[in-house]
Amino acid sequence: MTALCFTLKHTPKFTLDVSPLTPDNLEGKTLAKIKRLPLVYGKETVNVDELFSVKGRNAEEIRIEKSCNKLMYVGQGMTKGSLNINGDVGDFLGQSMKGGTITVKGNSGSWAGNDMSGGRININGNATDYVGGGLPGDAFGMRNGLINITGNAGDRVGDRMRRGIIIIQGKSGDYCGSRIHAGTIIALNKVGKNPGEGMRRGSIILAKRPVHISATFKSNGNLKMQFLRLLFTQLAAMDPEFQIFNKYGPTAHRFSGDLARNGKGEILILQIIDKLD
Amino acid sequence: MKINGVLIDDTFAEAFPMKATRIIITAMNLKWAHRAANAIRGFASSVIACGIEADIERELKPSETPDGRPGVSVMIFAMSVKELEKHIPTRVGQSVMTTATTACFSGLDSDKKVSMGKSLRFFGDGFQISKVVNGKRFWRIPVMHGEFICEDTIGVRKAVGGGNFLVLAKTARQGLTACEKAVDAIKKVPGVITAFPGGVVGSGSKVGSKYDFLTASTNEAYCPTLKGQVKSELGVDIGSVLEIVIDGLDEESIREAMRVGIRAACKFGPKKGIYRISAGNYGGNLGPHLFYLRKLLK
Repeated sequence: MTALCFTLKHTPKFTLDVSPLTPDNLEGKTLAKIKRLPLVYGKETVNVDELFSVKGRNAEEIRIEKSCNKLMYVGQGMTKGSLNINGDVGDFLGQSMKGGTITVKGNSGSWAGNDMSGGRININGNATDYVGGGLPGDAFGMRNGLINITGNAGDRVGDRMRRGIIIIQGKSGDYCGSRIHAGTIIALNKVGKNPGEGMRRGSIILAKRPVHISATFKSNGNLKMQFLRLLFTQLAAMDPEFQIFNKYGPTAHRFSGDLARNGKGEILILQIIDKLD
Repeated sequence: MKINGVLIDDTFAEAFPMKATRIIITAMNLKWAHRAANAIRGFASSVIACGIEADIERELKPSETPDGRPGVSVMIFAMSVKELEKHIPTRVGQSVMTTATTACFSGLDSDKKVSMGKSLRFFGDGFQISKVVNGKRFWRIPVMHGEFICEDTIGVRKAVGGGNFLVLAKTARQGLTACEKAVDAIKKVPGVITAFPGGVVGSGSKVGSKYDFLTASTNEAYCPTLKGQVKSELGVDIGSVLEIVIDGLDEESIREAMRVGIRAACKFGPKKGIYRISAGNYGGNLGPHLFYLRKLLK
């Protein structure tokens, strides 16, 4: 069966809530029924076929073509299947996602992976602020799953995250891993100011020393962290793309903090060395 | 039936259901992984008094372990999941965690699980860190050598214990030489262990005793010094009997282990003092798994 494909007919003027376009929601529906599904467009409601041309049958595998940053809530609450987007997406990509895979070949708006508790989001482009972060008033950000960004990320990556892994292969903004409760953030390029500000637990793994580390982090010196071996080996086993971690050894400069909260988190600054060392 | 002049008794080995798990121990190098593995398999020869039966299954290459370090896999058998739950945390805690640079992971995927790191994490006294990677939860317990990393739970599955055969020899030296080769051959079979020291039992037992407080006692029918006193199974030429006991993940792996083990022992033949191969059974009262020697060697 061919993938169920939604091609945007023209760039929407207003934000478009595409949260109904998930494998869970479209499973078992006929093409005609899918075309008549209502979508919230600005202040109005429109049918899917007013904005998208739709073809294909396999709702387990959905494609959105010619996407743009007006498309909000892409893959909201999905639990299975795959969602591939060619083009940019707006805010709240994969919000409350529990399973499955979302792949964006483009850039993402803010709060990608907000309230996520499983599955995987791949952003083959840049993401703006609050990746995996919680909304104001939320106790937690993402609670499980994996977000992989090949480009850059904005500020406050993983804000208040509870569990899960965020990998940023490009640059990260300020306050990366702010207020995290637990979980793992890996940033493989430059990082802005004050990573881990207010973190309770969790690990922020940086390939480069950040612009500034808060005074509330205490250096533990260079340590051989066996956990890094485990993490990188497991990630490489998950996806060949993560073989990129093979060049990092287990030795890292460890900072524990944020001591202003309870100091049980850590910032690990990786060192490229011989793994056999 | 004879193999290389060695008589194969028309009898069967009697095995019983057990529960099994497999742990993977990694360390800075194989030497230290073996030290931990040897500690955990110490005093784990028989469930009769040790609670569990355990042995090293094989060495693992770095590419086969969860953390990319060299390691060994250890299989642990017990009569029930409850027994495994009791022994795994104590044994891993006292034998593996105390060995410098080690880490311990599950080596068996199963829906049924028992605690490992889930219990050991408390050693971290509140400083332990949980990490979920690739759908598995690991614990990072801060210890003096750095961090002890341990998987939260390990898989448990149904297994078979007590597959066995007896090597009846002229002398203990000759019997042991043949048994060593048999154990070497068995070690190449995946999914089985020989938990007794060196894989060989020098004091095979029967079920029960004249003493009420004993559940097992010497198997007098196979004791060379009791010929004449009891209804002995031994002829005048037999001076020593050694037993190889095999636990395995399933019947087929035990059958294969018995097959290769017996054939290896038989290679020595009567000229080198190996006269007969027999097996321990209790008339079918001990367990449902019966391994007929002649049938499996056909």
